[in-house]
Amino acid sequence: MQSKFRSLSSTCLVGFAVAVCLIILPADVALAHGAELQYIERSAIEITARYDSGVPMANAQVAVFAPGSPAEPWLTGTCDSEGQFFFTPDPEIPGLWEVQVRLAGHGDLIRIEVAENTIGATGTTGFTSLQKLLMALSVIWGLIGTALYFSRRQR
Amino acid sequence: MKKRYSGIFKVLLVVSLVILAGCGGDDAVTSGDQVMDDAVETGTLAITANGEEFSREGFLSKDGWELTFDQIYATMGNIVAYQSDPPYDTDQGWDIGYKTMVELAGSYTVNLADPQSNPVFLDQLHDVQTGHYNALSWDMLRAAEGPSAGYCLLLVGQAEKEGVVIDFSLGIEQEVAYMGGDYIGDERKGILLPGGTADLEMTFHFDHLFGVGEEDATDPLNLEALGFEPLAVLAVDGVLETDLTALQTALNDDDYALLISIMTHLAHVGEGHCLAQFIQ
Repeated sequence: MQSKFRSLSSTCLVGFAVAVCLIILPADVALAHGAELQYIERSAIEITARYDSGVPMANAQVAVFAPGSPAEPWLTGTCDSEGQFFFTPDPEIPGLWEVQVRLAGHGDLIRIEVAENTIGATGTTGFTSLQKLLMALSVIWGLIGTALYFSRRQR
Repeated sequence: MKKRYSGIFKVLLVVSLVILAGCGGDDAVTSGDQVMDDAVETGTLAITANGEEFSREGFLSKDGWELTFDQIYATMGNIVAYQSDPPYDTDQGWDIGYKTMVELAGSYTVNLADPQSNPVFLDQLHDVQTGHYNALSWDMLRAAEGPSAGYCLLLVGQAEKEGVVIDFSLGIEQEVAYMGGDYIGDERKGILLPGGTADLEMTFHFDHLFGVGEEDATDPLNLEALGFEPLAVLAVDGVLETDLTALQTALNDDDYALLISIMTHLAHVGEGHCLAQFIQ
């Protein structure tokens, strides 16, 4: 009887362990054929480039440099006909971002301080990381309780 | 009993490790900025000057004169490179905060029209602290000796329009101090890595002086340029040898004022404008 309980206990424990692993694995691994939608609300930067005369720098070349990487552009693009350019800095790279705008021998560089945690609300059709962590902790707590229950019954 | 608990804890350990492994993935990213800040090594910083293709290949002025240059002598001194902090912007005026500054002693006269020099090398500073040199100041000074003695800038060349050819020599005596921020161009400049070489460039835009025929007459560049016609009318028998002192009386007041004002936006750092003031 004891060995039956021991076997059942081990099976349950392994089962719980596997369940916990499945829960905390990324959703796209667990459900490779499923669909998952996410949204991240982020703050975009709008650049407006004009000559001193006020004329828009239409189609000007834009190079965006992330903090710590001044030599290689993080992003390149062109202004629209109104001299505007939009980009969303990576919130995981806080610091001084640099944006260089050039057209026909004229150019300038502007620096934009991007603070940490500027990322906005997020959402997903799957579980969030926090939800997964809470579920994992709940399972672990249940695991411990189950183990203690069986060990007490065998005395 | 002990054995059972041992098994339980083994399973818990596995689960905990999986959780920890899942949580720790993003922390291995390192910051390039940090690497740069920690560096205490040195490198070589070269200083160059550039008159762009306008000075080396010539160009069509806004008023239709085809300009070519034999020499454009420019003399620079008091050259200082900064790792400005906060990064310098001309809007802040002449006050510049910096972590590091290095100075190139002496004055240098170079020929910006030399077709072999793109850009013209002035000199280099060895064993200077690494980092991003993001500001540059210099004075355009009168040459003490040599072919351009007495002038900060001396342009020698030919102008041609509708069969009329003028050999000209235009000297500028007015000394000017310039300060610019980050180089603006195809590539970033002044980023000095340990053991490496970086360069900073003083860039002179002669299209600001004469305008550009390919651009529209109403282009701001052309509206603010003198052109060559006001000078051409002063030539005698196809020769114009003049300087700022002579032009003060030879040009009308508006053209002279325009010529003077152009000296304040002739120099750039790449395509980035510089702050400028006349040296009395």
